[in-house]
Amino acid sequence: MTTVLKRSNWAIWRDVIFALFVREIRTGFNDRLGLAWAIFQPLSFIFLLSFLRGKMDGGDTHTIPTFEFMMYGMLLIQLFLETLTNCAAAIKKNKSLFAFRQVQPISSVLASALFSLLIKLSVFALIFLIMYFLKMDFKLDDPLFILLNIVTLWMFALSLGLMFAIAQCYVPEISKIQSVLSRPMFFISAVFFSMQDVPKEYWPYLDWNPILHAIELTRHAAYNTYSTEAVSEFYLFFSALVALFFAASIYHISWKQAISR
Amino acid sequence: MIKLQNVTKYYPSALGNQYIFKNLNFEIPSGHNIAILGSNGAGKSTLFRMLAGSEYPNKGKIITDLHLSWPVALTTGIHPQMSGAENARFIGTINGVADLDTYVQRVRKFAELGRKFDLPVNTYSSGMKPRLAFACSIGIDFDVYLIDEVTSVGDAKFRNKTRRALTQKSKNANVIMVSHEMDELRHFCDSAIVLHKGELTFYNDLEQGIAHYQAL
Repeated sequence: MTTVLKRSNWAIWRDVIFALFVREIRTGFNDRLGLAWAIFQPLSFIFLLSFLRGKMDGGDTHTIPTFEFMMYGMLLIQLFLETLTNCAAAIKKNKSLFAFRQVQPISSVLASALFSLLIKLSVFALIFLIMYFLKMDFKLDDPLFILLNIVTLWMFALSLGLMFAIAQCYVPEISKIQSVLSRPMFFISAVFFSMQDVPKEYWPYLDWNPILHAIELTRHAAYNTYSTEAVSEFYLFFSALVALFFAASIYHISWKQAISR
Repeated sequence: MIKLQNVTKYYPSALGNQYIFKNLNFEIPSGHNIAILGSNGAGKSTLFRMLAGSEYPNKGKIITDLHLSWPVALTTGIHPQMSGAENARFIGTINGVADLDTYVQRVRKFAELGRKFDLPVNTYSSGMKPRLAFACSIGIDFDVYLIDEVTSVGDAKFRNKTRRALTQKSKNANVIMVSHEMDELRHFCDSAIVLHKGELTFYNDLEQGIAHYQAL
């Protein structure tokens, strides 16, 4: 006799997201490099970029050590891109699981998003650990604000990803547009430059981009001496909120049809 | 009782929307083992998937307080890179099984996959995967089992076993079954629903239903 629990909707949600999350962890790192690659890849990039930039300005970039400057840029843009790609692919990937009535597309998207966030947070933690053991100087002036920025950016990526994922159920070609659109984000989001390097009259061409705000604000949160003249918290939070609102609305009206096609 | 309220279902296609059901109102009574009869393309599988909650109608609702299974022996929910045990655990968690370890043990015993149960599913032969899927669904106690041509699972020996297990289950639970083999249907079912041109008709007596279906 198998007892099946009568669960509330929330409990079903929690169980399903947990199960999908475990499944994600179990199958996400299936090649031999596995988790090591998730850490090594951004790290090598950060070293390369900070080496190149360090050559030019010698150690510090606008009052931040160049290594950390690049670290926040790289990890945040990667968090954004990976969350976006994983979420956008999540519905299609788990399509066969919607045969179980308990599994809804949103659970699949949330599990993917949580997985991306968890990986990036561990990479953050690991890099700080490495810096600690290498006795590099680092400051965390406002750690809570760093976390807040990370989570807000993650929410923004999650919302965009959810919208792309639903759009893909109707028009599969959207995935190509998504990759074309997301590719330049690496170059225009202040990953390896600062807004302070850019002449003021060109700011309007760059600062429509919430990712740039998140990256610059995080640098400021770590080193309060870093200027945030070009960016605003309000803009970042507001963009994330608007994106979340639209993603949730679109999801609410269309998820049943999206998986019934 | 499963209540279909104003159900409209269509699939978009190059030739416009292909309607399967239009404003369908129907009640599937409880306490019967029901065979669903209908010719190819009549919408048996669509009805089935909607009952299972795998798909949703374009308009209207399907209301029930019963605990319905997913289509039994459906292998699509099995992940090829996870082992049989991990898959069983995943399915158990999703369905809210209280004691997961016992459940996995029961699946292990029923599926008879031996040591392969702890190996990734992509190492299984084509007959073993449906066996795992069947064991997973029969291991959970549902009010109604949705069965789609299930008795074609595995070899002759396993087929007998599924038959016995389902017969056992149909004493306490009900089945809703799709099959083109009348012998199968006669073995498990006592009543029938005939699906024709988007309309459902319930027959209390299976033979009557079969007669009507064959006269169509």
